[in-house]
Amino acid sequence: MTVQTIADVVFGDEITPWQPDTSLQATRSFAEAVGYSGSGRFEDHGKARAQGLPGALVPGIMGMGFLTSMIHRWAPQGKIKFIDTVFRAPVLADHDHTVTAVVTDIDEENGEVVLDLTIQNEQEETRVFGTATVHLPAAS
Amino acid sequence: MTDIDDLRSKFLDLEFDRTGFVIDAEQSAKVAKASGETRAEFTDTTDPNFEACAPILASLASGRRLPIDFPTLGGISMDGGKAVACIKPVRPGIKLTGKTHLHDIYAKSGRSGRMIFLVSRMQLYDDSGEHLATTDSRQVIRERPDK
Repeated sequence: MTVQTIADVVFGDEITPWQPDTSLQATRSFAEAVGYSGSGRFEDHGKARAQGLPGALVPGIMGMGFLTSMIHRWAPQGKIKFIDTVFRAPVLADHDHTVTAVVTDIDEENGEVVLDLTIQNEQEETRVFGTATVHLPAAS
Repeated sequence: MTDIDDLRSKFLDLEFDRTGFVIDAEQSAKVAKASGETRAEFTDTTDPNFEACAPILASLASGRRLPIDFPTLGGISMDGGKAVACIKPVRPGIKLTGKTHLHDIYAKSGRSGRMIFLVSRMQLYDDSGEHLATTDSRQVIRERPDK
């Protein structure tokens, strides 16, 4: 489901959940691009475990990227004005995670929607949560 | 135990770092694609509206994490989260200046003790002084019981 204008948004609507690519290849590529690579914590399960971690991690800001990507697919004309992500627990690479969002507020006058965001692991434990404010065009 | 009110009165809202950045378009597109982004304005560097994605803005790090005279709090420090406020599109290749201050200091207590939250806010400006974006970086320190 996608929305084009603020008039398409319904309070309480859930954006279609999405399973992002958390493979080591993806986390390695991301870590290289943001300058986080080298320690192995985002690139290699063995090296990450040697540092006391449960395995290689998805960088926290990659989780933010998963959330913004999902919002952009849901609202192709939408502009994210603000996104806040709380890193509650590690997101492990090579594990399935589900990204979800729910509409919690609609300000039709200013064309703004507030979303509650979560990233959950296979055990349905919330690893990342947050909020986003998205601007959408008015209905023509 | 660390006096939070004392820290707030001494350190909040005082700029402690100013760092220059230039975001690379290819790097930003790679970050966006690795995150699953599909919109051309974030993934295609030839798109006329191409702009830096939120995660690359959140990755910009100030030269100092805390003010030079900020006390050592001990305990275990963790990355507690990030926020990005997009005011204007940030175009790769332009000179940016990030001005950083401590925006908030607060504590939360739980069964395992007290955690101190330090929120560093970086405001990003272009060469003409226009404010383009703001990023918050939330550092969490689990206080040692003897502190």
